[in-house]
Amino acid sequence: MSLVFQRTKTVNVEPRGDRELDVQWRITDTLLEASIWMRVRLPDLEISEIHVEIPRGPHSACIESSALADRVVGIRIGPGLRKIVGGLLGGEKGCEELAQGVLECCNAVILHFTVPQLRAVETGTERERREKLQALLRSNPRLVGSCIAFAQDSPLMESVELQGGDL
Amino acid sequence: MRTFSRTVMVGAEFVGEDLVRFYGILEDILYAMEVRMDVRVSDGVIQDVEGRMKRYTTPVCPRAEEVLKEAVGLSLREEGWISRIYRDMGRRGCQHLAEILIECGRCLDVARMARFLQKTAPSEGSLQDAQERLARWLREHPEARGRCAARR
Repeated sequence: MSLVFQRTKTVNVEPRGDRELDVQWRITDTLLEASIWMRVRLPDLEISEIHVEIPRGPHSACIESSALADRVVGIRIGPGLRKIVGGLLGGEKGCEELAQGVLECCNAVILHFTVPQLRAVETGTERERREKLQALLRSNPRLVGSCIAFAQDSPLMESVELQGGDL
Repeated sequence: MRTFSRTVMVGAEFVGEDLVRFYGILEDILYAMEVRMDVRVSDGVIQDVEGRMKRYTTPVCPRAEEVLKEAVGLSLREEGWISRIYRDMGRRGCQHLAEILIECGRCLDVARMARFLQKTAPSEGSLQDAQERLARWLREHPEARGRCAARR
């Protein structure tokens, strides 16, 4: 059976010196084509610039929604982001795909910072890996309980000595 | 130099008049995994789902493949289905498998629209013509209307 619908999404993060990150996001599917370019200022993770292009969409309102993007300039990537972006770009007068794209850009920025830590856990002796994992969980306490690997009953957590007050 | 890069792909095929099969793939620097999901078109209920982890960060991660199967019976028409998948399949399983599942689910109605366009005029007409035909289709399929400006 041949495919009726195809979608590809890509997101890339590239540092621009020590003080900024550039994020490029693109969606291409059978009906829609859109891209987001976003600049994020460090260290406060503030969205300083954004540019959106929607050359092709299933509805005329999709193409017009690119004008909404400026609303997120000035917001910081942090707690409550999903609600803030949903309120600014989603809803009855907004575009769900655009809001989702901005959130995926922001998620990629967070991953830019966590990838080196997760990569470091891959190497070393068992003890070294355990210690790195412990450090990772201490510096990213939100990871605890975020998935099956970091659940309280996970064998990985048994080997991680979480001291009271650390998390 | 790029420090993070991710690609997500979704394909949809209609394996029956009332059944659509999604294939979702996520590939990034750390993770590679895929999901196959069958959804009944008429009510959006997930009929079958299977996840496969190809690259992951801990030896515990593959256990999430079993958790993903708990999505069977969930309706993509149900209010809050995305939050439920994040909570039940993501936090209890794997956030990345959950993200693929959600991306596939979000493609349900656009895949139906693509099928409608292919059936009615596969390669003819302008963008404006396609938009007008989709607007008519949406009026006849209120279940596919979203909360955005385009699909109200």
